[in-house]
Amino acid sequence: MSILQDISQAMQKGKAKQVKQLIPQALEEGVSANQILEEALLAGMSEVGKRFRDNEIFVPEVLVAARAMNMGTELLKPYLQQAGVEPKGKAVIGTVKGDLHDIGKNLVRMMMEGKGIEMIDLGVDVEPQTFIQSAIDNDCKLICCSALLTTTMNVIGDVVECAKQAGIRDKVKIMIGGAPINQQFCDTVGADVYTPDAATAAEAAASLLA
Amino acid sequence: MSELTVHQGRQVRKLAFRAPAELSELLGEELMPETPCGGNGTCGKCAVYATGAFSPEPDEAGRVLACQAVVTGDGEVYLPSRRSVRQIQTDGILEAWAPVPGGRGWGAAVDIGTTTVVVRLADLERGVLAPPLCAENPQRMLSADVIGRIQAAGEGKGPILRRMIRETVGHLLDEACQAVGIGRDDLARTVITGNTTMLYLYTGRDPEPLSHAPFRADCLFGYEEADVWYPPCFGAFVGADIYTAIRASGMCRRSETALLIDLGTNGEIALVHEGRLLCCSTAAGPAFEGSSIRCGGVSTEGAVDHVSVENGAITFTTIGGGPAQCICGSGLIDLLACLLAEEIVDETGAMEEGPYRLTDEVALYQEDVRQLQLAKGAIRAGMETLLLRAGLTAGQVDALYVAGGFGTVLDLENAAAIGLIPAELVSRTHVLGNAALTGALLELLGPAGREEPILTNAQCLNLSECKEFTDLFLEAMLFD
Ligand code: B12
Repeated sequence: MSILQDISQAMQKGKAKQVKQLIPQALEEGVSANQILEEALLAGMSEVGKRFRDNEIFVPEVLVAARAMNMGTELLKPYLQQAGVEPKGKAVIGTVKGDLHDIGKNLVRMMMEGKGIEMIDLGVDVEPQTFIQSAIDNDCKLICCSALLTTTMNVIGDVVECAKQAGIRDKVKIMIGGAPINQQFCDTVGADVYTPDAATAAEAAASLLA
Repeated sequence: MSELTVHQGRQVRKLAFRAPAELSELLGEELMPETPCGGNGTCGKCAVYATGAFSPEPDEAGRVLACQAVVTGDGEVYLPSRRSVRQIQTDGILEAWAPVPGGRGWGAAVDIGTTTVVVRLADLERGVLAPPLCAENPQRMLSADVIGRIQAAGEGKGPILRRMIRETVGHLLDEACQAVGIGRDDLARTVITGNTTMLYLYTGRDPEPLSHAPFRADCLFGYEEADVWYPPCFGAFVGADIYTAIRASGMCRRSETALLIDLGTNGEIALVHEGRLLCCSTAAGPAFEGSSIRCGGVSTEGAVDHVSVENGAITFTTIGGGPAQCICGSGLIDLLACLLAEEIVDETGAMEEGPYRLTDEVALYQEDVRQLQLAKGAIRAGMETLLLRAGLTAGQVDALYVAGGFGTVLDLENAAAIGLIPAELVSRTHVLGNAALTGALLELLGPAGREEPILTNAQCLNLSECKEFTDLFLEAMLFD
């Protein structure tokens, strides 16, 4: 179906306006909201993720594409609810206490949304306890922490501790990332998954929640 | 078994051994510093900073002679990094240098840079400058950047960081005084400038508040203590070095609209417009110092320093003229500008054909272009944020001042071609060299005078709280 391809192409190029025009057109043509979501938006975002991971495109292109995708999913939301389509799991994400960098965290959030995961974004400078409480309140099985400063990355260890103390360590997976983080650090603080970029982060999250 | 931790630059090695053992044995030929006196413990050249179990114990400055010391248990040593900076920028334009009315004796200006320390004496009576003296900042042995030092201080290394820098400044002052035939006690006044972290560490303050949000410095200096004047800092990451650089530029003295940038790791920027001064730090990172670039390096022998296109072919020069070993900051900017002109890199930063090779060994990779995009994007976006806040466009700026040594080797046309600086400002750019030191010399002469109200009322923006920054950053990462 070519309109799905058109939407996907427009979204990948970050043409939010076109996406906004094409989606109602597709609905009118009788394509289901779920099909638009899966075959145009999420498939398109997968493609964007792949090209980002392979360094063919960079942060600005990914962000405009992600914004176009968001625009599309917002449009589809009422139709999806009506049709009873459920998100593929829920996760909380935030930048750890002491750190205000959020561009990488936002990219990860959008890529995860691009996998159909419902994301609860706690923003920046997030207390360890807030991650845990929000995961409990929203029944999330995944907590994602971003840290860009070597002076604040240790807060991730506190998040892990906090999860233990709250008695939910075995019920949640903790994913971590940000420029100074690596696998060794992930092992040391006892988090579950580290990935170096947003695209692999989204893939890992999707398989964790599957 | 005991353990000796050996720090060298960013490298850390752990050696397990049976105590006691000679430090020189443990370090071996590869790591052992040079011993011009043949290891007799007489020349002092192999002194290294050490903590832990050593015999004899580390001296007051925290050092042991590598040729003499015996390690008697767990310990740590800090070796000088092997890559030393070839050229240290010490000069700068001195606009207004006149004898201080009623000035007496000699004064000293000290610029504590993250990488290098420079000292210069001035005869306050006659208005004569002695030649500058410089040395590497020994704190580099612990960490290359400011955040690393803050972190080291947080791990209990504050005292050693303080001793390192105090000793270096002390030596330079002694040497400088000796050269003009006075004793250190004869110095009438000393001005010490540097970024906020450097001043914290020098004065023995705990930099913990600088390590995390909200990044509020609990001391912004601007005080005199024991005949030493510490010029004020604007914020946690916009320090006294920017204050003195602004003084050196004279941008607050003239009624002009002007920008000042320091193209270091912190990427500080200041804008003055209608008597208001706005500043920020953009955290560009060390890409222009060659770090985080695959074949990047500092400007030493063998570094590609300039690249140009001649008759359709890309040619380059290296420092010293020998074979290319790495690319330094100026070379990276030139090369990127050439690759854009030749359409080998497109406007989004994508390389069609894989890495671009200058020689068999030295090439620019796709991920290097991405790192350069982040660095130049952050600096340009910082500039654009300040302009936007002041309701200006780049074309309305009368002058752009570039502070720091990097400015003196930078090709401005190419810097504009990659979007690091606005193209409109190339012909209005003034390269200042070590403006922080020049401004410190001006501070020796006396207070800021007419500039004072502008400087004291400066506003330091935290870019993480500026909503517009992200979009400007995304845009500035691209090429036009
Ligand atoms: C942009 C930037 C800023 C902006 C931030 C704007 C914003 N809203 O985020 C501004 C200018 C405000 C800023 C400020 C500071 N910054 Co800053 N900043 C940068 C810069 C240039 C780029 C960071 C970035 O956005 N990269 C792009 C994104 C997409 O990449 P990313 O964040 O790494 O994310 C990717 C992966 O890491 C991963 N990922 C990220 N999060 C997560 C989470 C999970 C769960 C997973 C799985 C993966 C993952 O996926 C992402 C996409 O692939 C870097 C230097 C550089 N060249 O990298 C410095 C840098 C990070 N900053 C640094 C510093 C020190 C600061 C300051 C503290 C001091 C200063 N000099 O001003 C301040 C204060 C920040 C604060 N308030 O918290 C340092 C950190 C050094 C260190 N050793 O820790 C850096 C490295 C620069 C440097 N070398 O000096 N900064």
